[in-house]
Amino acid sequence: MNHPHLSVRIGVATDQACLIEWLQQPNVLQWFPLSDMREIEDAARIWMSYANYGAFLTVLWDGVPCGMATLYLQPFKKLAHQCLFAVIVDERYRGKGAGTLLLNELMRLAKEQFKIELLHLEVYEGNPAIRLYERLGFRKYGYQRHFIKEEGCYRAKLMMQRRL
Amino acid sequence: MTLPDDFDIRYAVPEDLEFLTACFTNPQERAPFPFETDSETEEALKNWIGFVKYKAGLTGMLSGVPCAAGVLYLMPYRKVAHHCSFYVIVAPEHRRKGIGFSMVKNLLHLAKTRFHHESVHAELFGANPLQPILTRQGFEVFAHQEDYVHLSGRQEPRTLMEYFFV
Repeated sequence: MNHPHLSVRIGVATDQACLIEWLQQPNVLQWFPLSDMREIEDAARIWMSYANYGAFLTVLWDGVPCGMATLYLQPFKKLAHQCLFAVIVDERYRGKGAGTLLLNELMRLAKEQFKIELLHLEVYEGNPAIRLYERLGFRKYGYQRHFIKEEGCYRAKLMMQRRL
Repeated sequence: MTLPDDFDIRYAVPEDLEFLTACFTNPQERAPFPFETDSETEEALKNWIGFVKYKAGLTGMLSGVPCAAGVLYLMPYRKVAHHCSFYVIVAPEHRRKGIGFSMVKNLLHLAKTRFHHESVHAELFGANPLQPILTRQGFEVFAHQEDYVHLSGRQEPRTLMEYFFV
C-alpha cells in the first residue's frame, strides 16, 4: 500500500550524515554496540560501504531521510545465500510505518536482487523493534545472554531469522 | 590423551602466515571454514594474522615447527569488548594427539588473563570435529541456525557455542 508521506530509495553516500546523527540519539544508540563518536563513525563507514553494491536502502518522510537499512552481504560464496541486516529509524519518526515499509522493501531487494534465501538480524533484548520483526515473520534462533556490557550491566542479544 | 613431549605453544608472529596458508592449501581443510576459493582464503588469513599484533594469536609447535594455530577475534567496540570469538586449526598430520584440546585451553587462558574477557564463543559449521572438544571444555550452544552455509553441495547449519569464565 502506498503511504502518502513515505518513500524508499537506494542509499547514497550523503546519507551518512543522517546515520551518524541518529546514532547519537540516546534512544537509538542504546540499541547498538557503539559508545562514542569514533565507534559511531567506524560503524557508519562500514554500513555505508554497502551502498556501493546497492544493498542499502533509505526511507524518506516527505523527501527527508528518516530511516535506513543495510544488507551485510557475505564476502564468501559458501555464505552468499544468507545475509545479516541492520536497520535504524530516526527516533522522531518511530511508529509512523517507516520501519515496516523499509523492512518490506529490504526483504524484496534481498530476494530479487541478491537472491538471498535466509535473512537474519541481531537485536538486543527489550528493544521495541522485536515486535515489528515478529510481525514480519522473523523467528528467534539464538540468544547470547551477556552480549552487551554497559556500566556493569549486561544485555542479551536475540538472533532472529526469516526465510524469503 | 598425552601430548607429545616436544609440543610447545608460543605467541603467533606474522611469519606464521606461511604455516596457516599451507594448512589451507588443501580444499578439504577449508570445509569447516567459511572461505573456499584461494582469494577468499587469502583474505580471511590476512584478517586472522592481523590479530597477531595484539598478541591474540597462538602457534602450536612440535620440535620447533608450527603444527597448529589459534586466534582470538577481538571485538572492536567497548560495549562488547568483554568477549570474543576464536578459530583453531591443527595440521592434519598432527590431529588426534590432544593438540586441538591444548590449543583451545591455552586460547581460553589468553582470553581470560591478557584480555580480561568474561566469555569466548566459537562459530562452527556443519558437523565440525571441534564441537566435541568444546563441549568437553564446558562450552554451551547458544544459537543453532539451519541452512546457514553451503558445504559440499549441501546446506548445513552453523552452531554458536560460548564459554563463560565467571
